[in-house]
Amino acid sequence: MGVTAGGLVARRGRFVLDVPVFRADASGTAVLGPNGAGKTTLLYALQGLIARDGSVEKPARTAAVFARPAVLRGSALWNVAAVVSAALHLPLADARTRARSALGDVGLTERSGADARTLSTGERQRLAIARALAVEPQAMFLDEPFANVDADARPYLRALLRSYADRTRCDLVLVTASLADAAALCATAVVLRQGCIVHEGSLADVGSARDEYVQALVAESQLVL
Amino acid sequence: MLQIAALSVAVSVVATLVAAAFAIPAALWIVHGRSVARSLLLALFGAGLGLPPVAVGLAVAFTFWRSGPLGWVDLLYTPAAMAIAQTIIVVPLIGTLAVISLRTSDDTLPMQLAALNVPRRARFYLIAREVAPGFAAAILAGFGRAVAEVGAAQMTGGNIEGQTRVLTTATMLAVGKGDFGAAFSYVAVLLGIMAVAAGVVLTLQRRWA
Repeated sequence: MGVTAGGLVARRGRFVLDVPVFRADASGTAVLGPNGAGKTTLLYALQGLIARDGSVEKPARTAAVFARPAVLRGSALWNVAAVVSAALHLPLADARTRARSALGDVGLTERSGADARTLSTGERQRLAIARALAVEPQAMFLDEPFANVDADARPYLRALLRSYADRTRCDLVLVTASLADAAALCATAVVLRQGCIVHEGSLADVGSARDEYVQALVAESQLVL
Repeated sequence: MLQIAALSVAVSVVATLVAAAFAIPAALWIVHGRSVARSLLLALFGAGLGLPPVAVGLAVAFTFWRSGPLGWVDLLYTPAAMAIAQTIIVVPLIGTLAVISLRTSDDTLPMQLAALNVPRRARFYLIAREVAPGFAAAILAGFGRAVAEVGAAQMTGGNIEGQTRVLTTATMLAVGKGDFGAAFSYVAVLLGIMAVAAGVVLTLQRRWA
């Protein structure tokens, strides 16, 4: 179905996000840009989590992974099960079964009984990914979902999200500071600066963006140790 | 003794519940946004933490004194007057503790649940479950302050036997008469009441965990 926004304007304090057109579909759109460019604000505005002007069309069932996932008191399993049960109107027992398999998918099976508040930041992000996938979204909004995840688990988690999107035609919007994440999940990229889109195109061509931040990002990704 | 203890519990439970009914919505309002009015109310709660029960008792006794502003309602030296005084004493404490418990929880949780398609009702339930232990602790602290307070109970209740005598005022009277046996037994019952209250709250908190 796709996520489409037109004339999107959102304010956070003195900061103004002004995005005349934005599109994302199952092939994935990466949102790049320096700190403070408005990447997270764009994600919030698309999801309707903050006040905004303009129009946004998106599927009914969406899910998000926040940069700092909030968790409920209780086990990791309960965290996923409670959300799944509420979002999909399922009995808790069924939700638990789904939660168990979702936690398995992100490699948290052994921590499923642990109090979610005691999980490390990386583990919390895995939990957030499990929780987001388990509500069977038709569109996903991801904010640095792998930032604190172990490097050796990242390729696997990227593949998990990519294959979910391929299988279900789930739209992806990914805010990231990592070209590796963007390349694994997204076909197109937009570059934000001070609340405005300064470049958009295929991710393969992102190097053509005449933007210092993007140039630094590309240069860094080409570094060989 | 049983009647004195029962009145102590009844007056303080009523005062605590009335105070919570005001203080908890107020705390929710304070943390919900930013404005001068919110900061002012929080500051008022903070200042109220040190409110001497004697001062509140004096104000309430004066208000309900026969020739006072509300003398005609004839409430002085009744359990109702004691409950009113204790409510005023306890509101700032419950309010402040509730604000602290709300501020230490992740304020993006409601938004994150919404972003996961959790319906409004379920969101309310899940968030209530998060904040309940903190609120329970705030209410317990409020009850503790109300039931242990003596100055306001004395001034607004008058320590009338069989009518407004509670454990704290009974203890004062017993000590005044040199009857330490009675005084110790009143205090023991008071401690027992607090132990039971703390036990109930701890059990609830464990079940919510």
